[in-house]
Amino acid sequence: MPIKIGLLILFAETWNTAGQIFFKKSTNQLEVPTLRNAKSYLSFLAKALQLPGIWLGLASLTIGIILWLMALTQGELSAVYPIGSFQFILTLIAARIFLNEKIDGMKLAGTICVVLGIILIAKS
Amino acid sequence: MKNNPLTWKLFFLIVSTDVLDSISQLFMKKGLVATGIGSVNLSNALDFIWHNASSPMVWLGLLCYAFTFFIWIVVLCQVDLSVALPLGSTSYIMIPIIAIIFLKESISPLRWVGIFFIVAGIHFISKSKQQIPPVVP
Repeated sequence: MPIKIGLLILFAETWNTAGQIFFKKSTNQLEVPTLRNAKSYLSFLAKALQLPGIWLGLASLTIGIILWLMALTQGELSAVYPIGSFQFILTLIAARIFLNEKIDGMKLAGTICVVLGIILIAKS
Repeated sequence: MKNNPLTWKLFFLIVSTDVLDSISQLFMKKGLVATGIGSVNLSNALDFIWHNASSPMVWLGLLCYAFTFFIWIVVLCQVDLSVALPLGSTSYIMIPIIAIIFLKESISPLRWVGIFFIVAGIHFISKSKQQIPPVVP
């Protein structure tokens, strides 16, 4: 896999991760929704869309998808998609820094496994 | 945390996000190939965005992609991430199969091994202990 495609995936997933952090930071301010019917979904959506962080998250995801499309243009789907799992690792690190979520042994083992998989696919 | 039992309805919802995600990636890739831009550089980045913004196939893919997110959020509201994530990672198996059938991509044994490691890794991550999120006033 050319390094350029790898970098595009990395940049795309960085923006996607930023989006997830914005989303989580914002939804932490909301009550846990009880989603039973269409009306409760809509009212949850209405509350969420009032938070600026949700919009920042959506903007980040938009940049992310444009970079993702650029990567997908030049690489095979069966290679680009699994390498996108890099987001799991970025999210773990970002959640540690920005959300104070803990990284335990299981998460670390999982991350090492994912990294190994990515290296193998990049070499294939 | 929710700790809801995994009902057939939820199982169906999770699998449908995998299927939708796979289809959206296929549509996007098909649309991207059709525009004929083989390589993106700084010089033709705007050209690239313009061409794809006028491709119905790419939009169809983006629409499915957005819908995937929506269903996924509905799923996460009802079931723990540690249950949803491993089931949700079946798209890592579906996508290579779709790529073989519809995009004529050939997948080397090494790539399959890599995919296996990623799925195993996601499984491990989901097995870690969940912490109750702090309540922010």
